[in-house]
Order: sequence, then structure tokens, then C-alpha cells
Amino acid sequence: MLLIVASICCCGAADEPTQAIDFNQTIRPILTQHCSACHGGVKQAGGVSFIYADQVLPPDGWVIEPGDADASVLMERVTTDDLEMRMPPVEESPDGLSDEEIERLRQWIDEGAKWSDHWSIGDLVDVAVVDHSPASTSHWARGRIDEFVESRLRSEGLSANADAPPGEWLRRVSFDLVGLPPSTDQHSAFESACVKAVDRQALEKVYSEKVDELLANPHFGERWAAVWMDLARYADSKGFEKDPHRDMWPYRDWLIRAFNADMPYDQFTIKQLAGDLLPEPTADDLIATAFNRNTQTNTEGGTDDEEFRVLATIDRVNTTWTVWQATTFGCVQCHAHPYDAYQHDEYYQNLALFNNSLDSDLDSDFPTLKIPSDESQIEVAYEKQLRYRRLIKSRNQMGLDWVSETEWNPLVPVKAESTGGRLKIVADEVRADGGTFPVGVKYTVVAKMKTPSLVGPATVLRLEIRPLGDDPLSWPEQGSLLTHLGLQHVASSGIETPIEIADVFVDALTNDGDPRDCLNHSRGGVGGFPKLNGPRQAYFVLKQPLVLDADDTLRFTMLQSASTTGNVATPLRRFQWQISDGRRWSELIQSRSFADQTKALDDAKKAVSAIDGSELPVILERPDTVARVTRQFIRGNWLDRGDEVDGGIPEIFANRAGAEPIEVNDRLEMARWLVSDENPLAARVWANRIWQQLFSLGIVETLEDFGSSGLMPSHPGLLDYLAIQLRDTHHWHLKSLIREIVLSSTYRQSNATSREKRNRDPRNQWLSRGPRTRLSAEMVRDQALAVSGLINEEIGGNSVMPWQPDGVWQTVYSGAEWKTAKDDSRYRRALYTYWRRTSPYPSMILFDTPTRDLCSARRIATNTPLQALVTLNDPVYVECAEALARRGIELHQKPAKPLPVDQTIAWMFEAVTQQPPSEFELSVLTSLYDDLWSQQAELEKETSAVEAMSIVASTLLNLDKALTK
Amino acid sequence: MSAFEHELRNGFALHATRRHFLRDCSLGLGGLFLAGMAGSQNQAFASEASQSGFRQGAHFAPKAKRVIFLHMAGAPSQLELFDYKPDLQTLDGHDCPESFLEGKRFAFIQGVPKMLGPQFPFKQCGESGAWVSDRLPHFQSVVDKVCFIKSMTTTQFNHGPAQLLLHTGNQNLGSASFGAWTMYGLGSENENLPGFIVLVSGGRTPSAGKSVWGSGFLPSVHQGVQCRSQGDPVLFLSNPDSVSREQRRRALDALEKLNRSTFEETGDAEVLTRISQYEMAFRMQTSATEAFDLNQETKQTHERYGTQPGRESFANNCLLARRLAERDVRFIQLFHWGWDSHGAGASEALNVGFSDRCKEVDQPITALLGDLEQRGLLEDTLVVWGGEFGRTPMRENRGGVEMKFIGRDHNPGAFTIWLAGGGVKPGFTFGETDEIGYEAVIDRVSPHDLHATLLHLLGIDHERLTYFSQGLPQRLSNVTKPSRVVKEIIAAV
Repeated sequence: MLLIVASICCCGAADEPTQAIDFNQTIRPILTQHCSACHGGVKQAGGVSFIYADQVLPPDGWVIEPGDADASVLMERVTTDDLEMRMPPVEESPDGLSDEEIERLRQWIDEGAKWSDHWSIGDLVDVAVVDHSPASTSHWARGRIDEFVESRLRSEGLSANADAPPGEWLRRVSFDLVGLPPSTDQHSAFESACVKAVDRQALEKVYSEKVDELLANPHFGERWAAVWMDLARYADSKGFEKDPHRDMWPYRDWLIRAFNADMPYDQFTIKQLAGDLLPEPTADDLIATAFNRNTQTNTEGGTDDEEFRVLATIDRVNTTWTVWQATTFGCVQCHAHPYDAYQHDEYYQNLALFNNSLDSDLDSDFPTLKIPSDESQIEVAYEKQLRYRRLIKSRNQMGLDWVSETEWNPLVPVKAESTGGRLKIVADEVRADGGTFPVGVKYTVVAKMKTPSLVGPATVLRLEIRPLGDDPLSWPEQGSLLTHLGLQHVASSGIETPIEIADVFVDALTNDGDPRDCLNHSRGGVGGFPKLNGPRQAYFVLKQPLVLDADDTLRFTMLQSASTTGNVATPLRRFQWQISDGRRWSELIQSRSFADQTKALDDAKKAVSAIDGSELPVILERPDTVARVTRQFIRGNWLDRGDEVDGGIPEIFANRAGAEPIEVNDRLEMARWLVSDENPLAARVWANRIWQQLFSLGIVETLEDFGSSGLMPSHPGLLDYLAIQLRDTHHWHLKSLIREIVLSSTYRQSNATSREKRNRDPRNQWLSRGPRTRLSAEMVRDQALAVSGLINEEIGGNSVMPWQPDGVWQTVYSGAEWKTAKDDSRYRRALYTYWRRTSPYPSMILFDTPTRDLCSARRIATNTPLQALVTLNDPVYVECAEALARRGIELHQKPAKPLPVDQTIAWMFEAVTQQPPSEFELSVLTSLYDDLWSQQAELEKETSAVEAMSIVASTLLNLDKALTK
Repeated sequence: MSAFEHELRNGFALHATRRHFLRDCSLGLGGLFLAGMAGSQNQAFASEASQSGFRQGAHFAPKAKRVIFLHMAGAPSQLELFDYKPDLQTLDGHDCPESFLEGKRFAFIQGVPKMLGPQFPFKQCGESGAWVSDRLPHFQSVVDKVCFIKSMTTTQFNHGPAQLLLHTGNQNLGSASFGAWTMYGLGSENENLPGFIVLVSGGRTPSAGKSVWGSGFLPSVHQGVQCRSQGDPVLFLSNPDSVSREQRRRALDALEKLNRSTFEETGDAEVLTRISQYEMAFRMQTSATEAFDLNQETKQTHERYGTQPGRESFANNCLLARRLAERDVRFIQLFHWGWDSHGAGASEALNVGFSDRCKEVDQPITALLGDLEQRGLLEDTLVVWGGEFGRTPMRENRGGVEMKFIGRDHNPGAFTIWLAGGGVKPGFTFGETDEIGYEAVIDRVSPHDLHATLLHLLGIDHERLTYFSQGLPQRLSNVTKPSRVVKEIIAAV
């Protein structure tokens, strides 16, 4: 971190002629706008790219002579009168660069053409605001945030608003922190505490205590989890055609717990991206990895699992770069980045870090973690699953330990037949030779020893399953899975004896199930599934050592009944059998320790299957021995594979000027790097996102793009200050940063606007007033439920189905049904509403939630008539309005007295908006009530008091004041 | 980034506020695209277009003002409808030659399937002499209004991705639909109805879900509004039973007064937008209800379309499409489900389910074309019909065995779509497939070419209708793959 003292005067634009030109502030935008389309990442016309300093500046670059603008080719080309020569070309830009732009380029070159990395990846800079203007003695600022804002306001000729009335701030901060309005009791308690405060200091204490109370409220986690769920593309379904159900809620609950516990962002990041790779991951660490299992699984018949596995992996890369780095890295899938310094192969290097997880677009979403319905049992259930995974691995390893010291002899196939297509024998191999090998195909292979080479009786057989193609570029192939093996000994005399196989081991555990499944007709098997990424081996240990004479044969009956989505078979297409007399194998299966392991494994398996609960998809890594090879896709086409690449991060991050080179070799290192001091971008992006949640406009408005094609920060100094606070002062804790912001004068401003302010700062970019923004989709619903008293405040658990119009779900080939909850779970907060990707909850979509097909970094709030229809007519809101009316009436109706209408309405008004109605507002609403009551004939409706008051309540829920915070 | 793109980028950031686009684009009114381009080189085109009396969003004078897109979800067989292949008949029942199978991926066909000849008789119809099978007896009478493209191809052979490609230009999720692009570019012409309306029949939404009419990276205001033929046509359109229209009016009057005072108090212009949106919602309650009320149609019209008010049917949706076109709804999209004729069951068999689907659509489509023409709407309404891919000239053999019913597998290599009205050549056929209808061989047209062409007919240059997302000026016709306007099918003025 650098400490720089910048001098800002009241008219202080950053590029005053007397000041040195800043490359990022002034020059990069000119280059990006006018030059990089042709001289950039995709096109490098004339071998010149304005994205890389070394292609522009000496010694390699030749277009700029630092210190001498007149000698620079660049200046010659932008100033020449020869339109043939002039840059940018006439077709692109008839008038060329403006005089001002040319002057700035000239000055920058004369000043030495100092190049710097894009602003967003440079070190965080703590700029102290030293304001020399005469008005700098304002008492408005409470802290550093306010100093940045005030200084900027001055330079724009604006001034800040005074503090908002307590009720306005309370409404704002309650929604921002817990996503709910304050209750009437909370509101009045706060108002009276404010009144009672004897001095400014006491008043500050009232405010800060309120903030602490809200931060400690368990609804805080729900409010902020909802923010993250857009980024994580959270949904309760798998996506694509059938869009079937998926148990994803435990991940949502993990988010709520993490936010409530104020988990530091570095931990939060590492767990979600690489929780499975932590030294001893806990259940929560593994649940967090579901972040990257929110990618879609395609269960449509006939789809290629590899295509959609690759797509999911690409999504993980793009999502990670959008969420943490606000970088449009997805561009680099097909070619180098057009405006930023990312090379095509760097995309695939990064993808390699994500490319070795066990999941493979299977309908089962394998691998999953069982989460018991009773969340308090999570750790216990996790221990059971961990134990099973450890045991199946260690038991398999007991066999693998002998592989390398076993001498293997090929068996020579003499006959190979299939119930499906043709098989042929090539040397010692059996190969598929045309025709169809449907699900359930059975091979019968007869083989004998090559030479009578075994010294002792045979103890073990090895099956090597090979890809049909020899060229690794053509891998992976469709899976090859042997699901059941039968074995017969055929003596030269013709006598056949079935041979019992005692046990099965595999080179690596990559499938759901146990290798032994292929002895008992269970659904698992040995080989590669759903894809064959390279040769795979399985070892079959004979129960009794078998004496084989030279003329004896073995008959293998090989069943293959597995299939991928749409009943596509996964037959063996090329394989070889080998045999050995290694005694170790027989000793192993007879040993006491192995028997103990077997029993332990079988017990562990039973314990796991007894767990009753949900199946949360998680990320687990494939074993190193069968790791997937990552290749560059030529122009992004997954079928056009190029060179093999190793994992890593882009050069501009790995080798930052003046910093130690960074090596990133796996996902865990990637996650750790993202939140390290070496990557200031992540702190900027997260600080900006928090700011945007509170003020609705980010300091960088393009939350999703901090690169050259994004917008520049409105308050660069403030952004870096917040990022430094977040990372260094608050040690990545969200709550303390939020506390600092919501107690600032900037946040506490009243949101009233004068015509002048509206003209000079129409979008409140310069923060000349408090934020006044529409409630999010979740808040609109939650507010109605809260003020009506219907809300069910239960936290966590399965997603729920509140009322939804009939016929909204019409998804193909799926029996899934929307079953409206009958109990009060239909009054749960919005974030618990069941989220089906192909058919999201209508009222949420109408209030601008994304569909969550992909990561969405920014919601743009709209204001449409379809929204008005929701809050006026959706039965959910009709029910809330009636409940609010009944609540108001119950509180104010005294026995045998007429209902005090104005008091009831005033109470409801305040319950919804946290402010008392003005006289005018009250009179409009009471006359509405009176009219509904007295003009029933005219209004063609007989109306009870409750009905009339419900219409008033509905009007209140539709007030602009109710829909904004 | 070109100066134009830069302008678009920054212009968009400035205009993508609620205030701007909701005042003007609440139902997709007023092309946001144009707003984003103010001051850029496109202004020249904008003014040129407005002089021609068309909306300012167009790049040049359009031939079509609106689109009715009839999507037969599941992909109907071109070989049983329009692409007549006598040679295939002679191959019927023979093993498929290996050369047709090499390097091919199928959804379900395994091993060596049998060739399958056309299942129904064809005849040449109208003056144009277009071949149509006996499954579409009504449609045979209107072929002279229609322009066939027999050489459509796609890269996707699964429904979800292929539908996404056809409607959003991208086989993966996340891109904006054709309708959303149209709304973004041209806006709406009707203040009281959504500008992009989707009607679904067959009991199912398309395989790719609602994303096929989604807004993707475009602002959500441009997404299609799915209207329903049962209950409220627009979700939440009706007042609750406890509230009469007069009462609602009073409540909205009170609401307006209160919101107006909020505006005076806060100075927030967004409040004014909200006031106008509530008024539009109120108007929409009448206008949408009216627009969707099929009881207003005459008995003759019902007989012509085969409609029965109150049912969910493709026929009803065709008649609704005409009513919406009359009301200047910009983009009307119909999806009819059930065309995936694999032969795995009766409902998917060419001689059962497929024939039923044909019956369901034949009469209403014919009625729609005639009706639009008689009302003078066909000339500026572009009607598009088609599926997401074609079907194989081989008989499907799921799991490598002969199936009980007759069907065909997915074929991305060739399919037929047709266009009518809106500036396309009537009675014209473009492109050809090989002798068995397996691959388009002459004048191949990709979904991106189709998009470029349809946008062109709407007065939009597909290369200039862009939106900045993921660091790129995205466009419907795809940034990375070349696409062209198929000028050959556009009628001379």
C-alpha cells in the first residue's frame, strides 16, 4: 500500500495543465476508444497493440519516443494532413482525434510516456484528501468517506444534504442491513431515543447502537445471502430442458450462516472456490464448494456429457472472474482480450485449475454430499461420509500397492464375440469393429496364456480399457464401463469350471459406487464413465489361485449395462486382459487387516445409506493419477483441441511490475491468490459491490467490468480507501465496513432533491443527497409480509412454494409440480422461494431478478406497469393488504365505539413508511376510505369496513414511499 | 473499441437508469438502443428513418413493422411436409450407407439405421408449384403467399440448445431473444399492451424454457411477456374479487395524489414515472382484457380459424396473434409443443402424434395468413414458421433396435422454414437439400443469416444493433460468426 498526498483544489480536475498527465486517467481512454479495436488484443494491425507497453515503448516498440513527442511516429500519424496516412482512419473517424486529445498525447510523451497498468489492477493507494478551498471547514464530514465525497461535491459545485430525519435513515439502514422495514415498536423506540439524546455524542451513540443491533440480527445473513445468490447463480433446479430439482438449499443456508458469522471475505472466498482442497475440510468447507455446482446439468436425452461438463467448467471460470475480479475473462475463451492484457492461452491455463473436478454432467449430479434434514446432524453425517470415502480409498490402495511389483503377462484372445456389434482381435487386444453396442451388450472373450509364462498359479487378472483412438487429441471418448464380469476356466479336456473372483481394485476411484459392484450386478462398474479420458485399469483377484495349463483357456463374460443420459451405451471398445501369479494378491485378500478394512468399509457404507436427507452437489477433485488434461480450444470450439496447458493465472497478475512473481498451480492457490495482498482488484470489486448495495450506484458503475471497457470510478480515492479499510483495517470483515459506511454523513443524508441538484447530478453520482432507490424484488415481498404481520421469520431449510398463478410451470417431460404451501411456510421471506431456472417465480422476475442461469453481477431496477399489477393484484399482496388492515383495525377498534379511521390509517401509514402521514396524505386516505364506505352504490360494490380498509392498505403498499427505501 | 461502440457503451451506462428507460420503455416503448446512440454516427440513420415515417429506432426504411413467429417446438419433419424427396422413397427400408453416418452425432440413432421414405403423399400447389404433403390440406391453398427456405441448417442437435440458437443467436443461455432485440431496437407502438407477447400451446413451454423469449444481457424490460389463453391473459391483470373497477379507480386517484406529493417532497423524478406506470397498468386492464377477448369475433371467423374461446389451443393463439397485430404489438411469438417425432411412442409417431399436430396447425395458420391479408396487415407483418432443426432421412432405431412406431431422429443438417408478408418474396422457394433431404447443399442459411435477414426486413442493420456486455458489443447475429442478409428472398419494392 502506498500513501500519497494529493492536492485537490475546488476546481481540481485531475488533468490541470500544470499537472503531469496520468496515463490511466487520460491516455488509456483515448487509446481504448480510438486505437485498440484495430491495434489491440484481437487485431494487432501493423504489429502494434496499445494494450501492451512493450509493443509501444522502446526497446521493442517503435511508435513512441519517450520524452520527444515530435520524434514519435504516433504523433506524426495522428496529426498528419495526409488522410491516407492519418490515424485513426477516416472511415472510422472522419475528423480524427480532437486537438485536446492530441495535446494530451503530446504532453504525456514529452513527460516521458510513463505507462502504468490498468487502474484497477494497480496497488491500492491511500490518498489523503487535503482540501485547500476556503469552504473546507465544513462540519458536515464525520469521517474519511465523507471527506472524499465532500471534496468531489465541491469540485462539481454541489453541496451535501443535511442528515435525514431519523425515520428515513432507519428505514434505509434496516432494509440495507436486514432487508426488512423496522417494526412500529422498533421505529418508535428509535425515534424516542433520538429525542432523548442530550447532545450530538449521545445521538451518535443511539445511531451506532442501532447499527450494531441490526448487524447482530440473524436476518442480516438472509439479506446479504440474497446478494450473493445472484452471483452464485443459485437455483433449486438443474437447468436446461427438464430442469429437474436439485437439493441446493444447504449452500444457501451456508451463505446465511457465513454472513451472520461475519466470515472474513478471504475465508469466504477460499471455502467456496477450494474448500475441498483445504487440509482437513469440514462439512461447511465442502458445502461452500457448492458455489461452483450451481452450474447447470443437462439431462436432455442424447446430450454429450463432456460438452456440458466443459460448458459448466467454462462457466466456473467466467463466474469466478466476474465475481472476484469484475473481469470480462469470458472474452478470452475464443481469442485474446480485445482491450485488456489477457492472452487466449491464459484462459485455458486458468481453466485447467477448474478442470479436474469429479463432476461430469451426470443426471445424478455426482458427487454429492448428503445433508440430513436435521441441520444439527450435519457434522455427524459428514463424518460418516468422510469415513466411507477414506475407507474405500485406503482399501483400494491396499491392492494398488502391489501393482508395480507384479509381473504382468498378456493373455492372447482367441475368440471375441458380442451380442451387439462386431469385435476383432488385434495382437493381444480386442477392439470394436463396427455395428451397434447397445446398453446391456455382452462380450464373450476366450483367451489363453501367451506362453506358459506363469511360474505359480494365477492369482490376479488385469483389464486395461483403452480409448479406441491413439491420438490423445481425440480424447476423451465416450465412456467405457464394465458393469459385470463372469469368468470360466476351460480345461483342455473341455471341462468348464466357474472361477470365483474375490475382489476388485481400480487404478483410481472416479465413479459413484464401489469397484466390487461389477461382481454383484450393482449399478457401478470399472472403467471410465461417462467419458474415457485415457487408458484405465482394473484388477480382479481370484479367490483361489488357479493352475493354468498351456492349453487351457479362460472365458470372460463381460456385461456392459451402464448408459449416459438418453440411454446412450458406454461399451468397451478396446481392451486387453493380462494375468499374473503375484502371490501378494492372494495374501492380501486373506489377510486379517484387509478383512478388517472390508468390514469397516461395508459398515461405513451402511451408515451412509442410512442418512436421510438431501443430496447437495459439491466439488471434489479427481485423483492425480487420472487427472484430466486441459487443452486450449481453438477459437473456443471445444471439439477443436490444441496444445496441452498447465494451470496458472494471467501474466499481468502473475508478474506484476515491482512484485515477486506469483505461482498458482491449483484451485486452492488460485483462491488464496485472489484474496491476497498481491491482488488489489478483489478488494476493490467487493468494496464496490457493498457500496452499490447501499447507494444503488457503484463507485464503478459497471460492477461486472473493471477493465478497459468498463466505466472509470466516480471517486477513485474513495474506492481505494474502502478497499484498504476492508482488507487491512477490517481484515475482510463485512460488518465493520458496513458499519463505517452507514454511519457516515454521506449515507445519512436526507434524500430530498432540489431542482438544481437534480439537474447537476441527475443520477446522484456525486452523492449530493442520500440514496433513494426502489426496493429489490425480495424486499418488496418481505416488506408486505412484515408490515402485515403475516411473515414467517424462520431461517433456512428447504425452499418453499408460496402462491403462484396456475399454469406457470409447464416444463417439458417433467412431472414436477408447483404445490402451493398450505401452512405458514408460504409466508417465508422471498429468498426461500423455490427457484426453478426455466420458470422463475413471476413476481420476482417482474421486479428484476435475473433468471440465475448464469452469474449476474448487477440488477438494473426497472419501473413497469407489470410491477404495478403485481403489488395491486397478486393474491400475495391482496392477502397482505387485508392482514395489514385487520391489524390496524384490531389495534384501534374500541368496544362499542366507532372505528377511529384517521388513527388507524395514520398507524398503517407509519407502519409501512416509517414516517407519519402529512395532513394532506392523511386527508387523501381518509377520504378514500370514506368514499369506499359511503358511495357503495356508485362504486358498484358493497363493502365492509375491513374491505374498505384493505383497499386503503393496498394503496399504502403501492405508495412510491413504500416501494423505495 | 470504435468511437461508435464507445459512445454506445457510455451512452448506455447513462441511460440505463430506471428514470430513462422506464419513462420511455416501460413496456419496451421507444427503442433504448436509440437513446444509447444519441449523438453518435447513427443519428444520421435515425433521422433518415424517422423521415420515412417509421420509428426513429430503425436504420433504414423497414418492410415489416411487426413479427408473428410461429415456432413448432420439437422440430417438425421437413420430409413429411415440404421437402419432397422421391429418391428417399426408393431407398426406403435399406440400410443407411456408412458414408451418411461417418463423423455424425445423433441424439438416439445407434449403429446402422434404415432409410425411411416420405410417409405421406405430396403434391404441387398454387401457381408457384410448391410441394406440400397431404398433412396440410388447408395450407396447400396459400402457398403462393409464402416464401420457403429449404436450406436451413444449424449447429445444434438437441432441442434446448437449438431453440436457444434459433431465438437468441447463441446455443448457451444468457443471450437476448430475437423479440427482446427487436424491442430494444424499435420499441413498442402500443402504449397499453406489452410490445413483445408470447403465447404457448400444447401444454408445455419449449425445451429451452422461458429463455427463448428472455432478455438475456439486455435490460429485463425487453423480455417477452407470456400471456395466457385461460384466466388473466397477463399475470395479475384482474382486480381481486374484493375490489371493483370503480373502487380501483378511486384508489389509484388517491395513490396518484399521494405520489405527486411525494414527488414534491423529494424531487425524485422516478416518482413521476411510477405514477404513469400505474396509469398504464390501469389502462392495460381494459385493453389487454379486450385484446384477448375472442368472444368479440364473429362466428365466421371462429369457423375459419377453428377456434373455441376459453381453450388453450394453437388456433386460439393464431386468432389472438391477428388481434394483437391489429393493435400494433411489435413481436408476437407462438410456441406449439409436440413436434418431436421420434417414434418412441404414439404421441411421437409420424402417423399418429405428428399427424395430429398437423391438424392442429393447418387450418389456423391458413386462416391467419388469409385474414392478415384481407385486413391489409400482411404487407407489414412478417410471419415466420419453423422448428429448431430438421429430422433425419433415416428411421430412428433407439438403442439400435427397430421401434414399434415410425419416427425420425434430430437432424441439424437441413430443415425447412417459411416466411410470409413483411417484404419477402411470395410464392418463392430458396435453397435446396441433397437428394434425400439430409443436408442443405445449395444456398445454406444459418440461424444467424436468418436473424440478419429478419432484422433487415424490420429496418435494422444487424451489425449495428449492438449492446455492450461481457466486454463486447453483442449482437443477435453473433459477433464471431459471419452472417449475411439473404437478399435473394426479399421482394423488390
